[in-house]
Amino acid sequence: MFKARHAWGFLSIPLLLLIVFVFLPSIAAFGLSFTKYNVFQPMEWIGLDNYIAALKSNDFREAMLNTVYYWFMVTPALVTIPILIAILVNQKLRGIKIFRLIFYFPVLVSVVVTALLWKWMFAEEGIVNYFLGLIGIDAFGWLTDTATVMPALAFVTVWQGFGYYMLFYLAALQGVPKDLYEASELDGASFWQKHLFVTVPLIKPMIFFVAVISTMGAFKEFTLMLTMTSGGPLGSSTTAVLLVFQEAFERLNMGYASAISFILFVIILIFTVINQKLLDTPNN
Amino acid sequence: MNIFKNKEKFILILLFSAMLLVIAACSDDAANSDDTIDDSGEDTAGDESEGLSGEVEFMTISLSPTFDDYLNNLKEEFEAEHENVTINLRDVPYDQVEQVVLTSASSGQLPDVMNLNTDFVKKLAANGAVVNMDEAAADVKDTFFEGLWETGSVNGEVYALPWYTTTSGLLYNPDLLEKAGYDAPPTTFEEAWEMSEKIKEETGAYGQVVTDEMHLLMPKNGINILNEDNTQAAFNTSETEEMWKDLKEKYDKGLFPEDVMLGQVKLPELYAQEKVAWWSTGPQLFRQVKDLAPKVYEKSLGAPALEGKAGVQHANPMNIAVSSNSESKEAAVEFAKFVTNAENQLEFGKLAAVLPPVKEAVNDEFFTKGKDSEDATESGKYYAAQQLESAVNMTPPVEAVSEIYKVIREAFHRVILEDVEPAKALEEAEAEVNSLLE
Repeated sequence: MFKARHAWGFLSIPLLLLIVFVFLPSIAAFGLSFTKYNVFQPMEWIGLDNYIAALKSNDFREAMLNTVYYWFMVTPALVTIPILIAILVNQKLRGIKIFRLIFYFPVLVSVVVTALLWKWMFAEEGIVNYFLGLIGIDAFGWLTDTATVMPALAFVTVWQGFGYYMLFYLAALQGVPKDLYEASELDGASFWQKHLFVTVPLIKPMIFFVAVISTMGAFKEFTLMLTMTSGGPLGSSTTAVLLVFQEAFERLNMGYASAISFILFVIILIFTVINQKLLDTPNN
Repeated sequence: MNIFKNKEKFILILLFSAMLLVIAACSDDAANSDDTIDDSGEDTAGDESEGLSGEVEFMTISLSPTFDDYLNNLKEEFEAEHENVTINLRDVPYDQVEQVVLTSASSGQLPDVMNLNTDFVKKLAANGAVVNMDEAAADVKDTFFEGLWETGSVNGEVYALPWYTTTSGLLYNPDLLEKAGYDAPPTTFEEAWEMSEKIKEETGAYGQVVTDEMHLLMPKNGINILNEDNTQAAFNTSETEEMWKDLKEKYDKGLFPEDVMLGQVKLPELYAQEKVAWWSTGPQLFRQVKDLAPKVYEKSLGAPALEGKAGVQHANPMNIAVSSNSESKEAAVEFAKFVTNAENQLEFGKLAAVLPPVKEAVNDEFFTKGKDSEDATESGKYYAAQQLESAVNMTPPVEAVSEIYKVIREAFHRVILEDVEPAKALEEAEAEVNSLLE
């Protein structure tokens, strides 16, 4: 009874905040998605028109393709690279904590600062092109070419995010029994074989978790695009959430923007379920 | 156990009540007020016919804390003249203005008097959210330069008073020009492009560049964005096609960079690094170069803005608009007129290095003394003030102006980056703009 009361006490504030700032606005936005609403004039009920318009819209289709492309580059990298780094920084070596700190450091930088930093680095007159110039490669418009802008943005996301996920994997690695490594060593497994056949299966729940979190992150990303490219050139870095932002706050199509949000919500849900089916087996 | 259950219920009820309270606090109180939009600009509640009264919230953009004293003086002077009026000042960062206005509008609490940029004024005006100034402030219309009074117009009616403004001057680097064999800056776009080739060849720096403001470059060169009654696109002409073809050739020759065109790199940064020979902008912004590279600024000089075939300059005033739903509308309009009168505009111009769009203020010595100054900002200010008489705001008077700009910009980008034929890009853009105007 005592525990339950305390639990209620602790949970009530976040629950209230969640209800007020997440659940209720979500319900309101769902209602809004069936209306034509531009803030200044009364709402007009238009049924499924916004959803139909979204599904027919080229802009929405392109934004979704851009988002999936971005997710395709970001999530596999954020699932795998941090495992490798975590395994490396989990070794008992002198000064290894400094490496952990260095790898974690980009996480501490705000997204906007990261975006501005990399925007300068990727500029035509920026430091990336400068170093390429030293080895005889011509300057390249990383953020101005429709073909390279998304890979460049994905690179920045991975650069900033891998330290964060490394920390999760490090925690998971602490839970892997040492005797399993010793047993595999006796069986003649190499360093990487040990990790492939012992570590990976045992940290699979964490891999699932990282895959889900980074998938949701990739589908929700828009700060980088807004700050670095404003969705350009020619809409090639306009993600679905950036499109929601543009429709809602630049074009004042609140109803349409809400409809896009809910389509995106369903898509993220489907991706999450697929992830779960693929990675979250009964063994976990 | 019963006690526990009761307590559990009690907590649930408490939570639910708290939630309802929060919702009630956040909810739209428009129901309690008159939320019909009065397009006529006629007064509704909160004012008296004999004298002004009520509370007026004045929202400014990024003026605090630098101009706190000025704003407080305005408030005190107005309140002294109208003792039943209280002015509440509120300053919003530039990048949050639109969100603040939108959230305020959705809760029926738009600030009574708002400092807004031109594009946003048009959006609000088209939705009946701001007062018609052609009617409410007809008595002060003649005090403004005609071309600038029209800035806040939508469908033939003006919905905002121009506040402070800028026109362009030219900040140039005489060293780069000298290395290329020139002793004076260009005066026209044509001349600028001719010089650019030699400057690029001799110094590696850019001369004239194309920014993300194609929608201004076109009217400066005599190409109208919309037809006379603003119902259809008018830019799909042989002149535009020729202009875009010509710019594509210049781009292929490496005469201007795409990151500036896409708005990803700011021109002052390139100018400060001496990678571009001149920067055409409002003289109040010249100081950005001073902050970035004082030595480059020191050797820079000011000149009149480049002239296009149309021979007119663009002025982009900040505007003052009054909410249609203001409960103290009469006081709010009066305060808007007070803020934008000649005396207050001049005082603000002196403090903020901006230009007053009011005829009387601009003849002050403050704006004429910089003619022979060696300081780029001072001379730029002189040239910019001289242009006010003939300056116009080139923003089309329609609601979808931002979208129209985007369509034009992207059509041009397709020509430059994807080698699309200008004729095709223009045709597609024309169709898209026409559908936006429907």
